[in-house]
Amino acid sequence: MRIDKELDNMLKKVEKPARYIGGEVNSIKKDPEKVSVRMGFAFPDTYEIGMSYMGLQILYNILNKNDDIYCERVFAPAMDMEELMRECGRELFTLETFTPVKELDILGFTLQYELSYTNVLNMLQLGNIPLKSCDRGEEHPVIIAGGPCAYNPEPLADFIDVFLIGDGEELLEQVCIAKKDTSSKEEFLKKISAYNGVYVPSFYDVEYNEDGTVKAYNKVWDGAPDRVKRAVISDLDKAEFPVNNIVPFIDTVHDRSVVETFRGCTRGCRFCQAGMIYRPVRERKKETVRRLAEEQIKNTGHDELSLLSLSTSDHSCFEPMALDLMKMCKEQNVALSLPSLRLDSFSFKVLDEIQGYRKSGLTFAPEAGSQRLRDIINKNITEEDIYGAVEQAIGLGWETIKLYFMAGLPGETYEDLDGIGKIAKNIIDINFRVRGRKGGRFRVTASVSNFVPKAHTPFQWAAQDTPEQFIDKHNYLTKQLHIKGVTFNYHETKTSVLEAVFARGDRRVGKALEKAHQLGCKFDGWTEHYNDELWQQVFAETNTDIAFYNYRERSYDEILPWDIIDPLVTREFLMRENEKAKAAQTTADCRQGCAGCGINKHTECFKGAELPEVKHG
Amino acid sequence: MAKYILTFSKTGTICYTSHLDMMKMFKRVFKRAGIKQSYSQGFNPHPKMTFAQPLSLGYWGLGELLEFETEEDYGADNIKNILAPLMPEGIVITDCKEAEPSKKTLAAKTEAAEYIIAVPLHEKIDMTSSDIYDKYMGQEKILTYKKQKKKKELAEVDIKPMIRDLSFVVEEETLFVTAYLDSGSTSNLSPELVITTLIECLGLDTERSEVQVMRRKMVFAE
Repeated sequence: MRIDKELDNMLKKVEKPARYIGGEVNSIKKDPEKVSVRMGFAFPDTYEIGMSYMGLQILYNILNKNDDIYCERVFAPAMDMEELMRECGRELFTLETFTPVKELDILGFTLQYELSYTNVLNMLQLGNIPLKSCDRGEEHPVIIAGGPCAYNPEPLADFIDVFLIGDGEELLEQVCIAKKDTSSKEEFLKKISAYNGVYVPSFYDVEYNEDGTVKAYNKVWDGAPDRVKRAVISDLDKAEFPVNNIVPFIDTVHDRSVVETFRGCTRGCRFCQAGMIYRPVRERKKETVRRLAEEQIKNTGHDELSLLSLSTSDHSCFEPMALDLMKMCKEQNVALSLPSLRLDSFSFKVLDEIQGYRKSGLTFAPEAGSQRLRDIINKNITEEDIYGAVEQAIGLGWETIKLYFMAGLPGETYEDLDGIGKIAKNIIDINFRVRGRKGGRFRVTASVSNFVPKAHTPFQWAAQDTPEQFIDKHNYLTKQLHIKGVTFNYHETKTSVLEAVFARGDRRVGKALEKAHQLGCKFDGWTEHYNDELWQQVFAETNTDIAFYNYRERSYDEILPWDIIDPLVTREFLMRENEKAKAAQTTADCRQGCAGCGINKHTECFKGAELPEVKHG
Repeated sequence: MAKYILTFSKTGTICYTSHLDMMKMFKRVFKRAGIKQSYSQGFNPHPKMTFAQPLSLGYWGLGELLEFETEEDYGADNIKNILAPLMPEGIVITDCKEAEPSKKTLAAKTEAAEYIIAVPLHEKIDMTSSDIYDKYMGQEKILTYKKQKKKKELAEVDIKPMIRDLSFVVEEETLFVTAYLDSGSTSNLSPELVITTLIECLGLDTERSEVQVMRRKMVFAE
């Protein structure tokens, strides 16, 4: 690819210029003149982060298989590049053809985390595209967005023309084709709003009560659906999955072959949004996984393979699949990486074999320090499970144990926090017992993140702790975890507050986003770029009441801003789970019996899995 | 076991990938091609493969060389044919030959390299090519600062003895410099130092980011 002198000069001045050049192995070259629809897939963060996201590879592959569509990639330029772009008046461009994004038909953002929202606005501005939907005309691309954060689309409702909710494999291509078949933006929006998973915010007007809660969603156009059902692909095994992944030149966060083994999770942790919105479990057959892995490795030259799912060991054929992949990887000199394993004896055998003498750390996520609190959140792991696994791990030579917890969970007391210290201490003691008085180079790392209530979970009504409460808890934990051999990390409180505002915000917090963007907030998820002073100014100037969004418990009667989205898991189920949480009652894994979330009314549970019959209640 | 030397060019935007990126890219290309590279022994085995000299980020290269070993004898022409279609845009394989048996690596044999440096001129320069040569090379010493290998401190050096030959052509708004410089482990002169001293000596207002550098070839000791 040849580029103009100006861009060439810019690339000579910036860090990691290869972020901006495209041209990687398996990236797609098409003649833009020969397609009907040009789409930009935008990841609102830097290249290294965006290229590690498998969803991009999945959708890029599907769209580009269609000869009538050209999907190109767009990432947020790093600060140094942005500065030069603004200096020279260079507009945000695609990596494949260096086309200014405003010339595309559709620009689609993937929303993976709330703290990337200011980058979405910044990228629109860098593309010289008006931020608000109402200020854009036929000459501008249609701005769409999808991904897990689109399940509460409202904070971005003023800026995004169309949200796509749910699985994108079929929906995104249909939307692109509809663009070709319609002649105006309005006609296009009306046509696609008939599809499951399409939410057009401008078709609804939100009315508020005096106390600030939502009174009603009034349709502006009668044809709009009452609630937007998420899109679901029923058969994952038959769903398109890439085998020609783009291979970055530069190091990215994850630079490896990846096969998704199943989607959905049966465990029903009550804080977990992924566990709710990706229901039901749909599996890829182990033969399909193997074929995809082999082809990907062959086409990319990767020397690492990883499996993707919410809980690797829960695949119905996990053991034979893991053994088979281990054998294949060994023959081909490929490292196999199995994240999020349940640590039973089989897993240890596998891990011991694939990691050999170079053992990585073992990670446990008890999430809470006491059994009572783990019951509240329905995290089905006991301390005995952990200690048993740790003892085995130490015996096999592991020297680093990582523990993940959350602070601020509903119903949490300081006694639960004491439990975090106890678990860490007990693990240190197990090491002394197994390896003797000196204990070797053994280390335990306890990381505590702050609970952020998410939409469409049983805890969507819950209050988040205030920053003062979080800070007190962190200070308390710092003392509790002052143990030799234990490292304690906790997550920054300020960004957890910000995340929570946008995770459960309504349309009105869009004003805060716009203000934040005007003041220069961007890359808020990066510690070195997050500017708390500016954000305080934003909330003050826009009269955004953080307490209203974060610190109050919502009632079941309240219309929640994200109720316009139907995740296909019923509100009744979420309420029931929330009530059980208050009584510290657990709900069994739905492989052991249907928990009645309602998803089976819409699609088949465990499609593709080799399971004994599961009874639906 | 066989040992080969691959010649390739690197031009266009791919010049913004680094030396290490290129290593990784070649490793993956071999894997995709199904060519089994020989690996080093030890705890952290890596493929036996080295570039004659690293090419700086941003430079183009016309005669870049990669020396590598394979488990089987694949045949030089065959390797060239298999690899050529797998290369990313901007990398063109021009030759593959069997390496002569030698204990020294190409890197150890590298003596010098020839670069073409294009310096855009913002104002018309009132000098002929030989005037420029005389002014620059006529300096008794060409002093500049160079980072010391061990101490990592800047030290003043005279780069003139490391310049084997220089020639200039002024064409419209660009000054083309052909620079034949010491390269390799014994004596090494980066074109960067020539560029900064030349711009300073001629009093140009050209910025470094406007200058293009291409390595045309490398020269090896017998």
